[in-house]
Amino acid sequence: MRVKDVMSAQIVTISPSDTAQSAARLMLETEVGALPVEVPGVGAIVGIVTDRDIVVSVLARGLSTSTAVAEFMTVSPELCNEDDDTTAVAARMRELSVRRLVVANADRRVVGIVSLVDLPTGKQDREDAR
Amino acid sequence: MTLFATDRLWADAVVLEGDGRVLRVQSTRDALLCLKNHWLETDGPALAAAKTLCERGLASDDDPGLALRAFIEAAKEAGFRVNSWTG
Repeated sequence: MRVKDVMSAQIVTISPSDTAQSAARLMLETEVGALPVEVPGVGAIVGIVTDRDIVVSVLARGLSTSTAVAEFMTVSPELCNEDDDTTAVAARMRELSVRRLVVANADRRVVGIVSLVDLPTGKQDREDAR
Repeated sequence: MTLFATDRLWADAVVLEGDGRVLRVQSTRDALLCLKNHWLETDGPALAAAKTLCERGLASDDDPGLALRAFIEAAKEAGFRVNSWTG
């Protein structure tokens, strides 16, 4: 199974200098709970920010909603490719201790996000192969 | 490609205060989202002009300052108190 079969297709990204409230507004409009964080003009993905990050790392800590995304995002410059095998990607995510990875295509453009919960475990893959 | 896949950052943030809320906006995309979903008024000439300029600003290489200035005018029309270096 390939990553593109299980990922959430998404091409909207946010800048590290955007704020918690602008991230929330973008999540509302695009109906997603996680946004890849991309350096404008460079195109490098430096992390992911989730709706939970806003609640737990900004609101619960009493930080301002104008806090920059860079201050509370999950730093994860790692990408996977949409054609990567899901079992290998799941193993890599556990190794990196991340729950989500940004997915890129062959042109290195963002095409989605894959969550650990969407990926079959190695055990499930082995059972499927029987 | 969705209109919101691109953004144009502004040099300075605009902070709007009104109705017990504080909106901090520093890009054309975020301005358009505020105008569309979080505005105090639902119509008005400055609001319509700002939406048009923000949409055009996201779809073209127009100077982001055009959207910024239109956004400020729409904010004044809606009754927000505007804090900005731009005027």
